[in-house]
Amino acid sequence: MRPAASILLLTTATGFGFGLLAWLGAYAALGLLPPEAPVLLAAGITVSLIFASLGLAASVFHLERKERAWRAFTQWRSSWLSREGVAAVLIYPVAIAFGVCFWRDGQSLCTRLLGAATLIGSLGTVYCTAMIYASLKPIRQWHNAHTAPDYLLYALFSGAVLFAALRTVLLGAPGPMASVAAVMAAAAFAAKRAYWRHIDGQAPLATLAAAIGTPNATAKALDAPHFSENFILRQMGFAIARRHAARLRHLALGVGFALPLLLEVLAGVPIAPLTTTLLALACAALGLLIERWLFFGEATHVAALYYGRPV
Amino acid sequence: MTMLPERAPGAKKLGLVIDLDTCVGCHACAVNCKEWNTGGEAGILPDYDKYGPQPDGVWFNRIHSYETEEGGCSRTVNVPRSCLHCEDALCVTVCPTGASYKRVEDGIVLVDTDKCIGCQLCAWACPYGARELDEKAGVMRKCTLCIDRIHDENLPPAEREPACVATCPSRARHFGDLADPESEVSKLVKARGGLDLLSDLGYRPTNKYLPPRRATVPSAPAPPPSPAGKGLGAALLKLLDKALSR
Repeated sequence: MRPAASILLLTTATGFGFGLLAWLGAYAALGLLPPEAPVLLAAGITVSLIFASLGLAASVFHLERKERAWRAFTQWRSSWLSREGVAAVLIYPVAIAFGVCFWRDGQSLCTRLLGAATLIGSLGTVYCTAMIYASLKPIRQWHNAHTAPDYLLYALFSGAVLFAALRTVLLGAPGPMASVAAVMAAAAFAAKRAYWRHIDGQAPLATLAAAIGTPNATAKALDAPHFSENFILRQMGFAIARRHAARLRHLALGVGFALPLLLEVLAGVPIAPLTTTLLALACAALGLLIERWLFFGEATHVAALYYGRPV
Repeated sequence: MTMLPERAPGAKKLGLVIDLDTCVGCHACAVNCKEWNTGGEAGILPDYDKYGPQPDGVWFNRIHSYETEEGGCSRTVNVPRSCLHCEDALCVTVCPTGASYKRVEDGIVLVDTDKCIGCQLCAWACPYGARELDEKAGVMRKCTLCIDRIHDENLPPAEREPACVATCPSRARHFGDLADPESEVSKLVKARGGLDLLSDLGYRPTNKYLPPRRATVPSAPAPPPSPAGKGLGAALLKLLDKALSR
């Protein structure tokens, strides 16, 4: 599948934003927000909403008819894309109310409840995003049990890295977030490897012979309907060389997860926490963009079979 | 609304039955489809770089040719590919705007191009590659089963069929109500063992494909390997062979 820049930006930026929001909500729900936190929480909510807004703005650029984007909020009963839009918009007032409540009352019941709502809402939005892909039956690399939990995990990982950096900038030390981010990095590393092992071991969804109604024969494509690329081939015939994919996989694992893990451990010691947490953030962002590019680039669509392409 | 409609008892299931045994791969159906649908109700079907080196555009119907082999007999199989108007049409349910819908009365899957935002998710959801983006208007386009012909009472009854069916010179395309077991198309499907393409994916397409009849003429045996071996002599022989068989 063609990795469109708008979608890469959407899924990674909202991952950072909603991931951070989820951690802030979780901290408040558990009553663990540090007393000096009003500034941290206010900054955290602002930064997370900026990231989320960036991602959502990017997604609008994916639309051919941007002026009709409001229509996408209407079909939440059947469409995960619509649900994502509705959930993403609903989280804003909840997150702002959460921040205001903490600013005014501190660690009250109201804060804890709103924190829990923020946690559920932000992870729910990420889940909706993941389900857009996980629900597409023609794409075996997406329609499986890995996609949704992995998206949640990467959001929590990127949110933790962002939180650690933000806490260090504001309070001078990452606190427990360095350890949390390190653990999430290790989990994300393992999940990505498990995902790649899974898709590498999958059988193709169908054979060409079955796709053309001659299931007992062997078939090969002779003539395509047209000799130039068309929309279908541009979108669904996208393929990357195995050699390039292997190199990018190493890069995603190394830059995206292993380096942040190492840097967060250093930050936790603490050794130069400001430098290490900011560097970890930059690495995670770059690595996740590569990881997301591969999520699209390595995905094959069963319709490409009709053009005799491997799926 | 992009929820799939409950099928009313007695509702029609209009669709095509395509005979892979008699399709000769002439592309006439695709050409007539383009001609009919580029005018009239559906508006223009765009073309890009029309006379340039990479001509491209939106087609509702595309014809592929394959070589198949079964039981020592090989043959060419031509497969016209268009929207199958599935009963479990994922392209409809993924649509965030309600632009994609399936008609209750006859099961035809359509796009309301006034509502479409061009997110292209429906094209991803279709395993048959039947939906194409109109890159000029920024909306998704697809086969309408020539809805502006089949229900047009100003046309003589014999002409109320999709353009692709009307034009097929080998009568490989048939149109009718697949919900009615007594219709000509249903009888044809029954008699010839009509199949669903990619049935394992569970989209329950309405359109059926009649598999090619079994080939009975065995393929010619593969040519014997060239007697020439390696070395200079072999290279000379190869050159001679090439010159003589021109």
